[in-house]
Amino acid sequence: MNLNDNPIFLTQKRLVHRGGVLAAILIAALVGLSLLSGLIAYLADPLNFNFPSPQEAGKMFYGWVIGVEILVLVVGGFSRISRTLAEERKAGLWDSNRLTPLKPTQLVTGYWLGSPLRELYMAAVLAGIGLVIVLLAKLSVTLWLGTQILIFSTALFFGLLAVLVGMVFQRPQGGVIFLLALFFFQSFSFTMPKLMLTNFLLPTYGIANLFMESGNSSNDDSIREWSGLPQIFGLPVYPILLSLGLQLIVGVFLWRSAVRKTAKPFQPLMLRWEAVAIFGILLVAQHGLIWGIWHGHFPEIQSWAGRPRFYESEPLISIVHCGTILLATIILAAASPPPESVRVKAMRLGVRNLGAIFPGSAVSLALALAAVAAVILLTQCALSFGSSREIYLIAVGNLLAFFLIFSLLLEFCRLRFKRRALGFVALWLFVLCVLPFILAGVFTNAAFGKLSLLAPGVVALANAHEENLNNLLGIVAGHFGIVVLLFIYWQRQWKQLLANAA
Amino acid sequence: MPAPLLVIEHLRVDFPEVVAVNDVSLTIEAGDVCGLIGPNGAGKTTTMRAVSGLQECTRGSVRIGGHELAREPQELKRWLGFMPDFCPVYDQLTAAEFLDHFARAYGVPNRARRIEECLELTWLTEKTNSLCEELSRGMKQRLVLAKTLLPDPQVLLLDEPASGLDPLGRIELRKILLQLRDTGKAVLISSHILTELSGFCNTAAIMERGKLVTCGAISELGRKMSQRKISVKWRADGDKAREILKSANAKNLESSATGATFDFDGGADALDELLKTLIIQGVRISEWHAGGDDLEQIFLQSGAKELM
Repeated sequence: MNLNDNPIFLTQKRLVHRGGVLAAILIAALVGLSLLSGLIAYLADPLNFNFPSPQEAGKMFYGWVIGVEILVLVVGGFSRISRTLAEERKAGLWDSNRLTPLKPTQLVTGYWLGSPLRELYMAAVLAGIGLVIVLLAKLSVTLWLGTQILIFSTALFFGLLAVLVGMVFQRPQGGVIFLLALFFFQSFSFTMPKLMLTNFLLPTYGIANLFMESGNSSNDDSIREWSGLPQIFGLPVYPILLSLGLQLIVGVFLWRSAVRKTAKPFQPLMLRWEAVAIFGILLVAQHGLIWGIWHGHFPEIQSWAGRPRFYESEPLISIVHCGTILLATIILAAASPPPESVRVKAMRLGVRNLGAIFPGSAVSLALALAAVAAVILLTQCALSFGSSREIYLIAVGNLLAFFLIFSLLLEFCRLRFKRRALGFVALWLFVLCVLPFILAGVFTNAAFGKLSLLAPGVVALANAHEENLNNLLGIVAGHFGIVVLLFIYWQRQWKQLLANAA
Repeated sequence: MPAPLLVIEHLRVDFPEVVAVNDVSLTIEAGDVCGLIGPNGAGKTTTMRAVSGLQECTRGSVRIGGHELAREPQELKRWLGFMPDFCPVYDQLTAAEFLDHFARAYGVPNRARRIEECLELTWLTEKTNSLCEELSRGMKQRLVLAKTLLPDPQVLLLDEPASGLDPLGRIELRKILLQLRDTGKAVLISSHILTELSGFCNTAAIMERGKLVTCGAISELGRKMSQRKISVKWRADGDKAREILKSANAKNLESSATGATFDFDGGADALDELLKTLIIQGVRISEWHAGGDDLEQIFLQSGAKELM
């Protein structure tokens, strides 16, 4: 893959250079040099500063450098790629390029590596100044090397995500909104650094850990939580390797999606097996990270190693449960084909019955994801299944009900309300998930809150020893009533559509 | 007989609430310039997007030079040039850089020379080093046409190519299209302004509400027409001529001392017979024009009435 033969890359490079890069490079240099001058001033006269050692001073200044570098390369690069693609799609240039004999891989590579060149130049300047800071402060070069590898791999990973976001979002600012939402959810995992997958996918743990391992003089609990090796099903793993491995695996799926979406824009973002595989891999990694607490004996705690400061160990699995729901929701939305394309495919193949529609719909995918989640959740309670059976059933039932309701709602609303579908899906999710909590607050009655579609699994997993599980089982059964109702309406809508198509 | 370069068979495109293209079949041979005519929303652009592979088809097939587009999309990209109805250009590139981008993408040999040729063909040589954002809409339109011609495609799909051009530009476009026709290309050109297409289209396809109302060679379509607008001029014997025309059932007859215009219901043979009668009866005809080879007449009689 020679970038000098890639017209998309060359044009993006030309556009970046025409827009001017010198000012951007100078800004990065000035920021970096300001921080470097701070370190030089400290080394010249240490008594004027509060740092206990040159290493601590170096870490502080280098920390700022990589903070700016991340902001420029990861956030700025993501925003640049998604905006470029969205704008070129809107202008018709994306289609013009797609009509050329260029391979989809060349198109994706061109935008992925070409459009964020200005950010790359700025990051390179900052990385160079960062190396000088590390050397002057007599810090280990591995700190510089490790952090730079992680920053650049994250930039590549998020760059691929940006390509997909640019292909899907209609408006150029959609990418930034997506990124902000991602960071918002990421911030929740900072309180339990070693146990949350998001700290490895966006390698906050790996970077913080490199700083800790390069000489830590503090005994503060909050700092110690960022030290040591995380464990996957009891096996210690280097955080850098874990981050790189996860980014590589997820990145391969993102790459495949981007290339496929370029070649065939009418297909959903993910194939069904890819959706199931990526869901399974991320869930296995997450449950592997928290496995050390129960060793398969949930809810009986086996080890307090890695216990987070602010959470008891039981609510931790509830948080993972919520994360599972969120991840499945994203995957279902990305991998479920629009009903219109299912209908068109059915018409093309001459299919008239629902039996042929079902395997290609979001509903069957929801069933597959629920099965995967059920198997992986079993790792936490496999050795104590006799006592945790009811909790397990409630959690799995809750996942299944949520996935089915979401997929049925998604397809029903797409069929029924077409372009207004998203608003109606949001409305019904609000009614089923959030409204019960609001009512619980208004009437100061927690029972309302338990009716929420999110509640039974979370409550059962968080209060495994105290909760009346039969009530929760009843609520899950009630949720399945909604599933049946929605299924009937979903079926009717499909039949009507197929009849019209015929 | 030249081989068909573009064959569209039973093409159907579904949108969520409408069938945008419904069972459209069309054949364009080498050297044909086919006018795709229809009111706004008739499905012309969707048809072109489906033929180029930008729009998913529900049914039907597209063959270019005997190869199935659905099976060999990558190979056929060099055969097909699509010019959309707007001007997708990189504002911050010069005209030459813009063409260079696509010349590289198509793997055009002797890039610099070919770019020069295309710029010359579209009268943009003077604008070679101008940024695209500095070009007028008409110039951008010509630049996109130059981009479409770069790889020398055998089949050209031009969607409203003259919409941004000034009168001179339209005349020049006509010259280019005639030139392309002479070099054996197959051109499908859409417009809802019929005068744009007159003069260089030798075949026409009329669409309305996603369906093909009629298609074929313009001369043939004119022959099939049930009613034509006729204009005749004579040097003498005007009264006799008027009598013959009345007896031949000429409608909406408007006559003067030197000639008449009227609508004629009969077919081409009946019209030939009428002219023969006039001459035999001694009317000295100086001018005879039977409307029918003109697109506007064909369109108006095709059933597609909502001409914009």
